[in-house]
Amino acid sequence: MPRIENLKKVMIFGSGPIVIGQACEFDYSGTQACKALMKEGLEVILVNSNPATIMTDPEIATRVYVEPLKVPFVSRILEQERPDAIIPTLGGQTALNLALDLDRSGILNELGISFLGADPATIRSAEDREAFCHILDSVGARYPKSQMVRTFEQGLEVAEILSYPLILRPNYTLGGGGGGIAYSLEEYKTKLVTALQESPTSEVLVEQSVAGWKEFELEVMRDRRGTFVVICSIENVDPCGVHTGDSITVAPQQTLTDCQYQEMRDEAKKIINAVGLTCGGANIQFVVDPVTGERLVIEMNPRVSRSSALASKATGFPIAKIAALLAVGYGLDEIQNDITGTTPSCYEPALDYVVTKIPRFNFEKFPEVNKLGVPNDLLSTQMKSIGEVMAIGRTFKESFMKALNSMEQKDLSYEGRSSLEERLSYPNSRRIHWIFEALQEGWTIERLNLLTQIDVWFLEQFADLVQIEENLTQLDRNSLLRAKRAGISDARIARKTSLSEEEVWKRRRELDLHPAFLKVDTCAGEFASETPYFYSTYWGDPKDYLRRSTSSERDRVVVLGSGPNRIGQGIEFDYGCVRGVKALQRRNWVVAMINSNPETVSTDYDTANELYFEPLTLECCREVFHHIGPKGFVAQLGGQTAINLAGGLVDSGYSMLGSSLETIDLAEDRARFAKICREFDFKIPPSGFAGDLTEALKVAQQIGYPLLCRPSYVLGGRRMEIIENQDELEGYFQRSSDEVSSDRPALMDFFLEGALEVDVDLVRGKDWVVVGGVVEHIEAAGVHSGDSMGVLPPQRLKDETCVKIEELSSQLADRMNIIGHLNLQLAIKDDQIFVLEANPRSSRSVPFVVKSTLIPLVDLAVDAMLGLDRIKVQPERYQWKEMTSVCVKGVVFPFNKFPGADIVLGPEMKSTGESMGRGKDYAEALLKALLSSQMTLPLKGEVFFSLRDKDKDALVEVAKELVTMGYALSATPGTAQFFGDHSLPCIIVRKVHQGRPNCVDRIRSGKVDFVINTTSGRLAQEASFSIRRSCIDYRVPCITESDAVLAFLVALKKHRSGEFEVSPLPARLMNH
Amino acid sequence: MPKFESQEGYLVLESGEIFCGQLFGDFERAGEVVFNTSHSGYEEMGTDPSYFGQILVATAPMQGNYGVDREVWESGGIKISGFVSLEIQNTERESGWLTRLLENQVPVVTGFDTRRLVLHLREKGTTWGAIVKAENSKMASSQGRQMIREGKSLPQDWMVQVSAPGRTSFTGNIPKGPRVALIDFGCKSNIRRIIERSSSEVALFNCKTSAVEIQAWEPDGIILSSGPGDPTQVSNDVLGELRTLLGWRPIFGICMGHQVLCRVAGGRTFKLKFGHRGGNHPVKDQRTGEIYVTSQNHGYAVEPDSLPKEIVVTHTNLNDQTVEGVEWSARKCWGIQFHPESHPGPRDAEKLLVEFLERLR
Repeated sequence: MPRIENLKKVMIFGSGPIVIGQACEFDYSGTQACKALMKEGLEVILVNSNPATIMTDPEIATRVYVEPLKVPFVSRILEQERPDAIIPTLGGQTALNLALDLDRSGILNELGISFLGADPATIRSAEDREAFCHILDSVGARYPKSQMVRTFEQGLEVAEILSYPLILRPNYTLGGGGGGIAYSLEEYKTKLVTALQESPTSEVLVEQSVAGWKEFELEVMRDRRGTFVVICSIENVDPCGVHTGDSITVAPQQTLTDCQYQEMRDEAKKIINAVGLTCGGANIQFVVDPVTGERLVIEMNPRVSRSSALASKATGFPIAKIAALLAVGYGLDEIQNDITGTTPSCYEPALDYVVTKIPRFNFEKFPEVNKLGVPNDLLSTQMKSIGEVMAIGRTFKESFMKALNSMEQKDLSYEGRSSLEERLSYPNSRRIHWIFEALQEGWTIERLNLLTQIDVWFLEQFADLVQIEENLTQLDRNSLLRAKRAGISDARIARKTSLSEEEVWKRRRELDLHPAFLKVDTCAGEFASETPYFYSTYWGDPKDYLRRSTSSERDRVVVLGSGPNRIGQGIEFDYGCVRGVKALQRRNWVVAMINSNPETVSTDYDTANELYFEPLTLECCREVFHHIGPKGFVAQLGGQTAINLAGGLVDSGYSMLGSSLETIDLAEDRARFAKICREFDFKIPPSGFAGDLTEALKVAQQIGYPLLCRPSYVLGGRRMEIIENQDELEGYFQRSSDEVSSDRPALMDFFLEGALEVDVDLVRGKDWVVVGGVVEHIEAAGVHSGDSMGVLPPQRLKDETCVKIEELSSQLADRMNIIGHLNLQLAIKDDQIFVLEANPRSSRSVPFVVKSTLIPLVDLAVDAMLGLDRIKVQPERYQWKEMTSVCVKGVVFPFNKFPGADIVLGPEMKSTGESMGRGKDYAEALLKALLSSQMTLPLKGEVFFSLRDKDKDALVEVAKELVTMGYALSATPGTAQFFGDHSLPCIIVRKVHQGRPNCVDRIRSGKVDFVINTTSGRLAQEASFSIRRSCIDYRVPCITESDAVLAFLVALKKHRSGEFEVSPLPARLMNH
Repeated sequence: MPKFESQEGYLVLESGEIFCGQLFGDFERAGEVVFNTSHSGYEEMGTDPSYFGQILVATAPMQGNYGVDREVWESGGIKISGFVSLEIQNTERESGWLTRLLENQVPVVTGFDTRRLVLHLREKGTTWGAIVKAENSKMASSQGRQMIREGKSLPQDWMVQVSAPGRTSFTGNIPKGPRVALIDFGCKSNIRRIIERSSSEVALFNCKTSAVEIQAWEPDGIILSSGPGDPTQVSNDVLGELRTLLGWRPIFGICMGHQVLCRVAGGRTFKLKFGHRGGNHPVKDQRTGEIYVTSQNHGYAVEPDSLPKEIVVTHTNLNDQTVEGVEWSARKCWGIQFHPESHPGPRDAEKLLVEFLERLR
């Protein structure tokens, strides 16, 4: 079946900023799809508001629009581009919802644009629970008893019919947002309110819980002719009740009989056909009663999803690419299997290994959620994980332990009061560790099964692992081999045998005990495969799997990836890695990629020349290096994960390209770094160290308040707080006792209140420097750079300061002997430039800078690392100030997923993703950035103010303007009084503790359209917490920082004007 | 879950390769070594008479995960001569897989790099092998070669050896449905189960039954079953008897039955390098363009050029373009190389068998 005739131009949507439940897997899928369709000779138009993606590199599509994924903007693009069709199935739930909105708006009809992949009816029938249940009935599939609820009252009636526990599933939300399990009426009522709010259609499916059942997912594909294949079966280790994104999962499924599995497959096929999915990928979730074997259908997504990314990496079958080709008309039999190169794609991959995925959480960033009395890291049907790792091993044990090793987390010990039994009794992010603890204490499998409902088969595997670890008393070849075959890391072996990891490694070398690297070939060895996609295993002899090296083989270089997404280290680093791989290849290097994150573009088998899907631990990287003997490696693109590996790899005799260990150390050692800064006209905020409170009080006396405190050796500003006075300092040291001690002192900096912060990203070669840009933060100092909005070019920075910043930064780069990337975080106060931080690596802001200025920073960094000089590079070509547009970076937070979390921004990073607004001026860029980061900008209505004293004067002008624009003001008595003094009409609303109805009631009742609430100091913050929380729960925009308020006003005015333009990025990055 | 002790043991291949692993069971057996790429279905495979005498290598590393239950078995007992996988669990359903294998004197080797074995079989082709206990690899080698020699010297008309004697009748679910004669070359129970669902009566005939005897039973249609081994081992006598049935009643051949049907029609078969065994082979129906993912288990295939002109190739394997199905409309004969009865594997093609049965009404 050939391609659809007359199809010349198609439009693809990305999924926007990274949020929980929708991460970089859609960069992977969109990028694959664009590449495949471009290769077909089609014109591909891509729209995505997320600058940190590979897919928004101009070269990926014919034209790339970094614009909000909203109807008005996309309609405008459709009018300009007039594509023949849109493919809505590759950009997650965001793209599907956008497609439905576009369909409703009538624009597609008007312009005669068709849907490819899935049409609106199909999307609705899979998304609309009632319609979906109807379809299930028609094919005889069973599903949990449930009812659709549209009002609170109706919800109460339904709860009387069904029995608890009940699951709430809001319609049209991603990652089960706003959903959850309720065990009692009280809990049900609270959750129902949120769920109704979260659903854009105010519809919630309330269903009988099947918690404790076994859960499975099938990743399937279908072409226009009806050929149907299951790409991968996935089994959840955690029983039903935990969102599948938060569950440890295994592929292929392990515990179903062939009959059970085939029945599931048949049912999946019937459902896909009944839903009307013409072609593409989909996933269907099932649950199976562990006792009776009864099977129910839970949900289906008629699109490429997070699990299809996992399935693609697990099997080697490129689902997104194939989905794109199917959408334009091909049949599965007409598309070749890339991996074998000889067989067609209409088959079901056979695995001769086991794949485990483990989610990565960031609960430590949201300690406040404890307040509600709910265990901090309770898992439920609402997804909360930020990222995930995948590992491949020949057996479940090997794969599982490799995945655990990939987590880059210390062993999680528990210091709370709850008993082991209690900790095991509910699903939580560390339960697997409690299971190991219980097994070590001699618990029986039956007892664990009763408490956790995890299938006995998995528990037996865990028991085996514990047994293997316990038998590990001496390191003879056999016991060591047994442990390594079970995936147990050198570090764990070292702990069990009271040796150092280095000693275990040495012992293994003496015994010549190394893993073999086996291929992921989609067919369990049945056909020859040339695709170099590898995983390590101790179940093979390296001698049997020697690399085939040819004389024409060029030199190899390894790029270290950035591992699982987490807050502070996400897709931005994968962008650098992928771009870096391509740049190295252009310079004639053969590149091997190591990474453990299945969501990424870097783990696509055709990104690098060779892919090693391995944990980013020193042990595993060393084994890969031992196997391939690279000429060098690149650590500066993979974030802090890769930087942390650099030392060990250099010590093992491998050479690192770019900045040396010495340079890295210089940036990390505060004292040495401060000394260098003083050589220039850079200031460093006065600072000191304190191991306990007594020392801290002394330091505070020398430096003065406010202070910025943080423990040493932490990432992403973890536990970083602004301390305004002695009381707070005492409180801080009390709270941080677990992370601060005399050998791990807290770092205390003088806090530059109200300073303007900027990020500088530059690249230095041996005799040249290119400054990529100076990104001005919109919020004042005190907000983590990852959480603050930013703008390029700067709007407030004086020109001469900017010039000086560039000069000083270049000089500092010279002095530090940077080769490659350098990211500097600076603060400007009273025209003085302070250095807050220097990162000798690619940074979070690099992709934003690249997309804004079109300077190919990563490519330049590669040139720098390869030693190209200024004659070759011609650095003067790259002038970021010549940029013609204004670009604003917007930020997205996960607060709605963490009930009880406060939204006040501080020095600890909490955002998960970023958006970019491109405009001809600041206002347009700002508006687009805000809209893209899920902010609503109400065109009229009531603005509620609650301000701290020091912001009142600054914001009274804002209030005046809002009144002029026709908004009503409301405020708590103090602020209202202040407005009154300035002759501003204002509704007075009670504070929370002043009786009812109070301001929170007013917000909840829908009277308030947006909220401006600034606060400082721990106590005041706690007092106003409920205001901000109600904003999150009721989706009312809330701005908590005064500079952000000013920016919001600028955007609001622009929004009311209704004027905007859309434009594609230029066809390529600056000539390189 | 009952645990069993293992000891060091060997899988010796005729080509000289030796694999050392953990041997369960105190028995030694030789047989043709074949691999199957299905993820699940060990109990159906192990009891499928088509694997008679073979040492079955599961490419999926985790086997025995969900135990065994006689209800789903494909014959009265375990038919394989040896089982090889990377790991084996003995999880109990009605019983454990390892337990059942050992009760039936089937040696099991685990704990070695089975992928290397599979790559070897893929590159060198299917070969004989022996599972042996020995003090060292050298002794294993000579002992294994001896066992292989002995094994190969025995008659290899396995389809005859596994064919049930005489005639056994089964009542079908449709009293007014057709009567179906099922010629047993090593029939899987699920073929019979499917026929039962659409017929009034099924009679399983020994494959050497004369045409007269079959005709005397007055079937409405004839199905030639799947079975083990090389179709050229089916004697001319058997082929001759079947030839007299051509055109008398509709005939449907499955796997071995399909190959026998083609031989009856004058076609030839050849040995595939390493066979097709798994649950993921794409087959295209050339008449409708439909593609099924099929369950396969065969070491031989029909040479398309050897077939008489009136026989049309209806199904093709999309991996290697081999013949997967034929139609001889003048004689109302159909043959398919794959397994519409699945067990294990996808059931996409079950309708081919069901449609044949419906045509008999």
